[in-house]
Amino acid sequence: MKHLLIFVFFLAATFQVTAQKYITKTGAIQFYSEGAIEKIEAINKQVNAALDIKSGDMVFKVVIKSFEFEKALMQEHFNENYLESDKFPNASFVGKVINIDKMDFSKDGKYEADITGKITIHGVTKDISTKGSLESKNGKITGHSVFNILVKDFKIEIPGAVVKNIAESIEITVNIALDKLK
Amino acid sequence: MKKWIKILLIIAGLGIAAGIMGYIFVYNKSHPDFENLSSDYALKASELFTEFKVDAIKAQAKYNGKMVQINGQLMNKELNDTMAIAVFVFEQGMFGDEGIRCTMLPTAVDNLKVTESGAEVVIKGYLTGYNEVDIIMEKCSMLKSE
Repeated sequence: MKHLLIFVFFLAATFQVTAQKYITKTGAIQFYSEGAIEKIEAINKQVNAALDIKSGDMVFKVVIKSFEFEKALMQEHFNENYLESDKFPNASFVGKVINIDKMDFSKDGKYEADITGKITIHGVTKDISTKGSLESKNGKITGHSVFNILVKDFKIEIPGAVVKNIAESIEITVNIALDKLK
Repeated sequence: MKKWIKILLIIAGLGIAAGIMGYIFVYNKSHPDFENLSSDYALKASELFTEFKVDAIKAQAKYNGKMVQINGQLMNKELNDTMAIAVFVFEQGMFGDEGIRCTMLPTAVDNLKVTESGAEVVIKGYLTGYNEVDIIMEKCSMLKSE
């Protein structure tokens, strides 16, 4: 609940102060891990994301149950045993593109983005810094980033029987296509 | 053949059969047939949205992970190469439109395409959650449009 209130407050502040907001409701977040026996991957294509191109403020909101797996059993285990999505239904990122002042979105161009902020998964909030790209083209902004997180950092417990099947590090890939908020 | 060898072979055979059955029916089981699942709840889209706005935690506990049937006025359609989304809108907020977003099953995409925005529709889908802006439903099918 605390994180939810922080998110709503942050979003409210962000959206009232300036007018240069870009959003999407169909952002894609994919995760991938290569365990000893098989790979595990899933994708969520209903991710909310917003970027303020003046301040660099950036937010993501992710509904955990919207991650789709190829195997139904993996999806069940992901929701029931690992992410406990009934207890922690959402994940979020609240942060900033710290070098946004070096980008000019009034014309086409692609920039490397330095991103820092707080990521919340499974009810655990961690500081994170990563790199990505932002590209302005035909009035749209597309964003891309790939980074890794450690399962143990978010208190996600893997049962001993399958611990060797699941990698300790999960690769997260983010792709967003943002439109100017009307 | 000695009796104990026969017993061992039978046990081994049963073990292999159990393994194959487990792989097929448990490990490799298919996703639910969402189109033919019955709904856990059926209500107006506006009522569902109000429940989430009034008490999101209570509504998430009630509806997340359930098949929900909603009826109401289709406000927007978002169609691209990979997704077709039926959109119900009830408020304007920080992300623009706020309401219910229903990602259609591949078999239901054509139904959405031929349905006019503004039509009264009945849609059934798997409610995955609420992101403080929209209620998200996946694997949706169109039961009725007029």
